[in-house]
Amino acid sequence: MTSDLPLGAAPVGPNPLKDRFASTTSHILGIALAAVSLGMLGCTLLEAVTSRRDTMALGVSALLAGTAGGLLWYATVPGSIRMRQVFATVSWTWILTTVVGALPFVLAGTFAVPGVGFVEQVVNSVFESASGFSASGSTVLSDFESPGRGLMMYRQLTHWYGGMGVVVLAVAVLPFLGVGGLELITAELPGTSSDRLAPRVSETARRLWMVYIGFTACAAMAFYAADGFSSLYDAVAHAFTVAATGGFSVHADSIGHYDSVAVETVAIVFMILGGTSFSLHWRLVAARTLPYHRNSEFRTYLTLLGTASAVIVIIIWLENGLPLGSSIRAAVFTVVSLGTSTGLSNATGPGSPADYVAWVAGAQLVLLFLMVVGGCTGSTSGGIKVMRMRVLGLMMLRSIQHTQTPRAIIPIRLGTDSVRETVVSRAAGFFLLHFLLMMAGLLALTSLGGELETSLGAVVSTLGNMGPALGEAGPTSNYAVAFTQPARLVLALLMVIGRLEIFPILLTGVGLVAGAYRGSVRQGRHSVRWAAHRLEAIAESRSDDESDDVDV
Amino acid sequence: MSWAFASIVDAGLVLGVATMVCGLAGIGDDNADAVTFACVGAVCAVLAAVARRRVAPPDRPGTGRVFAGIGLLWTVLVLFGTVLYAATGGLARLDDALVESAAGFTTTSLTLLDAAEASRSVLLFRAATSWVGGLVAVWIGVVTLPAVLRSTALIGYTTGRRGLDLVPSAGTGRRRVLILYSGFTAACVVAYLLTGLGVTEALVVGMGTASTGGFTGRADSLAGYGGATQAVAGAGMFLAGAGIFVIWWIARGRLRPLWRSQELRAFVVLLAVATAAMALHRGVGWGEAGFMAVSAMSTTGFAVVDWTGWGTATTVIMLVAVGIGSMMGSAGGGMRVMRVQLLMGSAGGELRRQIDPYAVVLVRRDQETLSQRTLDRLGGHQVAYVVLVGLGAMLLGVSGVSLLGSVWGSVSAVTTFGPAVGEIGAFGLLEGVDRAERLALVPLMLGGRMSVPPVLAGVGLVLNTYRTLQRRVRFSVRLASRRRETPGESTRDDD
Repeated sequence: MTSDLPLGAAPVGPNPLKDRFASTTSHILGIALAAVSLGMLGCTLLEAVTSRRDTMALGVSALLAGTAGGLLWYATVPGSIRMRQVFATVSWTWILTTVVGALPFVLAGTFAVPGVGFVEQVVNSVFESASGFSASGSTVLSDFESPGRGLMMYRQLTHWYGGMGVVVLAVAVLPFLGVGGLELITAELPGTSSDRLAPRVSETARRLWMVYIGFTACAAMAFYAADGFSSLYDAVAHAFTVAATGGFSVHADSIGHYDSVAVETVAIVFMILGGTSFSLHWRLVAARTLPYHRNSEFRTYLTLLGTASAVIVIIIWLENGLPLGSSIRAAVFTVVSLGTSTGLSNATGPGSPADYVAWVAGAQLVLLFLMVVGGCTGSTSGGIKVMRMRVLGLMMLRSIQHTQTPRAIIPIRLGTDSVRETVVSRAAGFFLLHFLLMMAGLLALTSLGGELETSLGAVVSTLGNMGPALGEAGPTSNYAVAFTQPARLVLALLMVIGRLEIFPILLTGVGLVAGAYRGSVRQGRHSVRWAAHRLEAIAESRSDDESDDVDV
Repeated sequence: MSWAFASIVDAGLVLGVATMVCGLAGIGDDNADAVTFACVGAVCAVLAAVARRRVAPPDRPGTGRVFAGIGLLWTVLVLFGTVLYAATGGLARLDDALVESAAGFTTTSLTLLDAAEASRSVLLFRAATSWVGGLVAVWIGVVTLPAVLRSTALIGYTTGRRGLDLVPSAGTGRRRVLILYSGFTAACVVAYLLTGLGVTEALVVGMGTASTGGFTGRADSLAGYGGATQAVAGAGMFLAGAGIFVIWWIARGRLRPLWRSQELRAFVVLLAVATAAMALHRGVGWGEAGFMAVSAMSTTGFAVVDWTGWGTATTVIMLVAVGIGSMMGSAGGGMRVMRVQLLMGSAGGELRRQIDPYAVVLVRRDQETLSQRTLDRLGGHQVAYVVLVGLGAMLLGVSGVSLLGSVWGSVSAVTTFGPAVGEIGAFGLLEGVDRAERLALVPLMLGGRMSVPPVLAGVGLVLNTYRTLQRRVRFSVRLASRRRETPGESTRDDD
């Protein structure tokens, strides 16, 4: 149909780089790798002035990533792009960035513990990198003391890059992208569509990143103050996490390490804001008025978090027999952490009040529901998103009304706006695909030896970019204990799929399979034609021989 | 005459006759139970027969009334069973009787009865409840809802040749369904008798097979029976899960529609895939895997082995099979194969539209293209289904069941399968489950049996009532405030 039409203006008139290879995918990948290498370089410096243990690993990684990125960037120019390529660009950028992002962990031997072979180290590194860039926070790291500060900060930084997205960053720094830039942003940013904050796409991307940087700076200052100005390193590390709604911490027991109500309060506030649309934050900065209370999605989001907190407080207070104060503290932090898809924990150890694995099933099911829902559209959080859940709920109510008035035309309204039918059917399709992927992931994990409860929690958690799961992969444990190597790779893939909201990776996969199928069909046809030609030639030569014989 | 009353009378007549037969069959075993069942059944049948002569169902009942009627019908059936269980001493406590009755009428293979201790009448009555429940479910799905909802994907596909063939009118449709269902049950019973089962056992298992109820005369379901009995049960479950249309085509000797049915092909393929996937798992035989696959997809609940110990991957396959469920027009539950097919088509279309936003993607079933509105309703139904399962799991979780037990228990109850991983177990025995948890299963079984639309309509009714009340309260408040603002005017009016 119209899929062959280019989305944006194709190349660029007089271009000094016109002799270079035109490939938007490679160009954007180059920028992404260059940006990641800059981060690695910063962390190398930090490592050099602090622990010096992993300086070489970080430095070499920065050099390799920077060289690869720089070459790709310099050798290519962005060309015109079709919709199919938009998804491929985003998918390949993420997959390759994740793989390159695993280099520092491999080179530093972060996972080189006795009994773990090189292949498993690579798998663990890729898992950690995927978890970082997808802002999930699931970890296979058990020893938090050995890695240097620079490497740990790099681990936090992967969250920060992944939170707003490396493709958005690439679009922001490209002065003129002759492609469907908005489609690229939309394909990467979580949500149903991306708001234009400025007439130009690159300006929109730039503003999003500016808000993001400002948000992170505010979070860092707040953490620093809440912790009694004791560690700027910790404050910045956790600011990266809450801004990206990631979940990594520099301490094995996460926020529980501080055992401080002030730190937990700061984390709660910034996690809630991290799960809110960044367009709203921009409006706050630009218009200097509070836009949040006017946004119906934000109101639903807060109501959801409030209700879930209240329900869990009651359940764990009555069923688990925890004191009311501890119940409130544990429930509110956990609900906000999982409801915003951050995944930080304030559990001080296994069996502590905030170790939700020990809570009764009813409370865990509420948490599972929150993990599926996630935060608001246009935020850095994962999950299906509050907006989509509202649309789906209203769709269900419309079905109810249709049973009584089958011919009625009933629009779906969010606040004062009517939702387009395409958005409604897209939300329904997304929900179904999310559900199917969950079942497929569950089958894969249990086939690879995962325990059922842990696998269920892990699939929901990784697809929704939460971090900790249930059972053996709970907040006080890690994924290396619960899952085998192949299962960890499946989970890493689920994290990237979840971060890109299913469609890009799925379409790229379908495209690859379809391409391979078409290629094999073409090859088969060619072989058949070749065989037919050969047979004809043999037959002709035989008939010629026979006629020669007759002649003779 | 209201549609609800007419349908209760119809169901009451069948139930009365069935109860009376159960009582008569029990004479010589436990006479007190037998007489109670026979008398209550006879009275019920006579009352229903008299009422049936005097009342006629309305020609065009309203949708809301029909849905309300469906809810009322199931409630009356369950209460009838509860009273009888309690009265005969089959189950001493009223809440236990309620759970057993709900499990029976909703064709869910969950039980509290000790089969070894229960009298013959009680065992037969328990099987009869599931048989009547299955019949009512098929009646509603094949005859009533299509007439009310007019060909939507939420209900049995009965428009066009496939539906008109079996259900040319409501009365004929009901009669034909009754004859086919009874004939199929009789065939099952005869087949079981031929495999060497006693008359009572053959009747119990036969009714459990035809209705997808899953009750047997033993605590370990069909595990203790011979291979021939298990083979008959497998074939019977397949036909019961395939639905009344397939039985109708077979009875008429028409093979072409069988081959052309998209849904039947998908059902067979899914069964084959589930069987192969489970059999490839170590330690599981092909026969056992095939039996459990057909038991899960038809949502019958028979078991020949404790499958909950097969390993996590196998239990996930079982969960998926139970979730998909049987074909349209069967007494089984689950999402239904047809709906799952359509949803997959719809999701595929959405993927296509990501690449090409203006693409026109058509979703077809049996050579008919479905409208976007139908697909939207289907989406709404899917969401409602997931919400029901989620709420059920939460209800079970809060009442003390483990996480896995809650999720599995909720899926199993809503799909009317019965057995579940966790506290309930592979044979659907509720003895080890707490009272609160058992009671939590009742609304789930009923919600699943009603196949969600009536539940949705019930929610809609509550919402409408709430809105009306809200409007009235607002109006009253506004009126009162206006009167307060203008006291002079009212005085003048009074003057």
